[in-house]
Amino acid sequence: MNISRPGKLKVFPYLTLTTFLLPILVGLIFTTIPAFGYLPAAGGSEFGFTPFLRLFSHPSLPAALRSTIFSGVTASIVSLTLALWIATALYGTRLWKLAEFSLAPLLSLPHAAFAIGFVFLITPSGWLLRAISPVPSGFTHPPDWITAGDPWAVALTLTMILKETPFLLLMVFSGLNRIDVKRTVWVGRSLGYHRLRIWTRLIIPQLYPMLRLPLLAVLAYSLSVVDLAYIIGPSLPPPLAVLIDRWFNDPDISNRLVGAAGAVFLFVITLACIALTMLAELAIKRAATDRMLNGKRKSPFESFIPGARFFAGGLLLINTLSLLVLLIWSFCGIWRFPDFLPSLYSLSNWLRHGEYMLEPLGVSVVAALLSCIISGILVVGCLENEQTLTQARLVSISQRSLWIIFVPLLIPQISFLFGIQVLLVTLHLDGTWFALVWIHLVFVLPYVFLTLANTYRAYDQRYSHVGTTLSSSRFKTFAGIKLPILLKPILFSAAVGFSVSIAQYLPTLYVGNGRFATITTETVNLAGGSDRRIIAVYALCQFILPLIAYLTAITVPFLMHRNRQLMRN
Amino acid sequence: MSLILQSVQIHLGSTPLFKPLDLSVPAGTIATVMGPSGCGKSTLLAAVCGTLDPGFSLTGTISLNNRVLNDIAVEHRKVGILFQDDLLFPHLDVFGNMAFALPAGMSTTAKAGRIAESLASAGLTGFERRDIATLSGGQKTRVSLLRALLAEPEAILLDEPFSKLDEELRSSMRAFVFEHIHQVRIPALLVTHNTKDSADGTFLQLR
Repeated sequence: MNISRPGKLKVFPYLTLTTFLLPILVGLIFTTIPAFGYLPAAGGSEFGFTPFLRLFSHPSLPAALRSTIFSGVTASIVSLTLALWIATALYGTRLWKLAEFSLAPLLSLPHAAFAIGFVFLITPSGWLLRAISPVPSGFTHPPDWITAGDPWAVALTLTMILKETPFLLLMVFSGLNRIDVKRTVWVGRSLGYHRLRIWTRLIIPQLYPMLRLPLLAVLAYSLSVVDLAYIIGPSLPPPLAVLIDRWFNDPDISNRLVGAAGAVFLFVITLACIALTMLAELAIKRAATDRMLNGKRKSPFESFIPGARFFAGGLLLINTLSLLVLLIWSFCGIWRFPDFLPSLYSLSNWLRHGEYMLEPLGVSVVAALLSCIISGILVVGCLENEQTLTQARLVSISQRSLWIIFVPLLIPQISFLFGIQVLLVTLHLDGTWFALVWIHLVFVLPYVFLTLANTYRAYDQRYSHVGTTLSSSRFKTFAGIKLPILLKPILFSAAVGFSVSIAQYLPTLYVGNGRFATITTETVNLAGGSDRRIIAVYALCQFILPLIAYLTAITVPFLMHRNRQLMRN
Repeated sequence: MSLILQSVQIHLGSTPLFKPLDLSVPAGTIATVMGPSGCGKSTLLAAVCGTLDPGFSLTGTISLNNRVLNDIAVEHRKVGILFQDDLLFPHLDVFGNMAFALPAGMSTTAKAGRIAESLASAGLTGFERRDIATLSGGQKTRVSLLRALLAEPEAILLDEPFSKLDEELRSSMRAFVFEHIHQVRIPALLVTHNTKDSADGTFLQLR
């Protein structure tokens, strides 16, 4: 039976690649040119190094650089360690099921909303201190402490760790599906190895290649995050990415050149960190090869493994508390320090702001739906093409270069968004729906691909072979057999895509040219304000949208397949 | 030197999977447990190995060379396992896979010697640096057996190890595995649903 049908499907990788390569490339170029002094609109007409000289002599740069690198590198290393540690400790236990179950709601809580809740927990007037005040702490007024916004960006780093560990854990879950973990552990144990050694020597080496890209994405993200840094990062001076964003929006238009230079600099820093990570991987691999075969069965750190339960629990607890404190603030009338709970509850926060939120909510939903539907089609098309090619034992160049769709995740957003803005303004496309959906697609598609690819590739192609022989229609087989079987992972990846789109902050601002207010841009803009009740209402709305998406992705397949035992997993 | 199962029974919740089982496997012999799929064959092996899934419980006594295994951790049981899938570690080459089974404290040359000797006994001389993916089905089966034996287990379990091989290879692999087990003189327990796979030792039908 000849199953290859490269003709129609071949277009998908090319289509996908051009959708992504083009904006990034153009964005980088149009950011780099102003960085070297040329931007007529801002009075730069001569090429030179002046913007870089101004950047490097800026008094805020050293501290900004310090907090950027500290928070980015620490958050990535700690998140990866925690995710692997939790997997090592919990795999196969009942808690593992619980962890798997609680990942979706954890991930659906957008970074910004979580950060706001976290701020409400840890500030001197936050819930944690209220819980121990006035007894036993003795505080009747909030103390004069610096928690959120500390100059070393510790609070920012913690926020990222709390958000990125669940993300990497999700990637661990999907990677483990492709490894016969249960029996590998069995063989390892029957050879006399203990848990930690089995994981570090047998499972993690097989798993890491599937975690490499997500890890690098986490690294690039944490080095360049802007919205979180506004909410919980240091402010005087802020991390480099925020500094750049301020220069781009400075009333003094000549500062845009400095911003562009900063954007290029941040890009170089990110590339350097990515290169270092790859080098570290090589070095560890080389150093570990001999150790791996030294025959030692038991690690001295074996007894530390159960400690991961503590971290997994802590992760869950802090996320829950952050959400809870948002809920309380949103229904709060009067809540004086050091009261543990408000003395007066009220609906007025929701009632007063409901009507202002309708438009940003609508914009968010439309952009998210469009971008996740389009990327769903593109990703399924690419994966179908890949499977057709695999069956024909062909791998085309376009298929091999699909890793390019991850490029947007490996480059600081701010390093190419300014260039895209410049280009869009020139083409009079800024502030259009087309531009908005396109830029969301650039960030949504990689995540859809990332969450769908492994399960999609694991689909047992024989179902389709049987289907094709029965119905003699490939399309019927695809629509009637393959899609329903893969419904759950497809909907889940769509939900991930939806929530990624909802959470976009910088892209919406730079491409929208002020014409699009989404729930996220509104929330982040308000976060600097002083009325916690309003901030909480907005943050919760930012959370509700992805939550609905994830719930849909879970319930629809459940309802459709409720009488089908084999479809439970 | 033998593996002894005394009124062994496995329960899923409170339902027993099969009637209480009595079996004695002397060193160097291969006992066959046979039964249709789903009768609990593989679960029985998991019980002997100590890797029963939560939810299953074991009654009766399993002992190996006069040690009662029931409460001994998997890592310390000295029971090797061979699956129908080779379960060779794909990130290591043939040498790495085999060295992984050797005890700690051996010098590099001693390891290389042991592995070369072992490979030679299987007609695989010079295979040390081969990538697992380049091995044929029969070669994979042989390497997995050699790996399991290098750990010097006191008993070995065979979970339908030949069922994925084609008919011709099957009989030669069977001969190869059985011969090696006779040589190292340890008890072996084979589960299968194929009568042709049964060995010369005790034969037991599970239902």
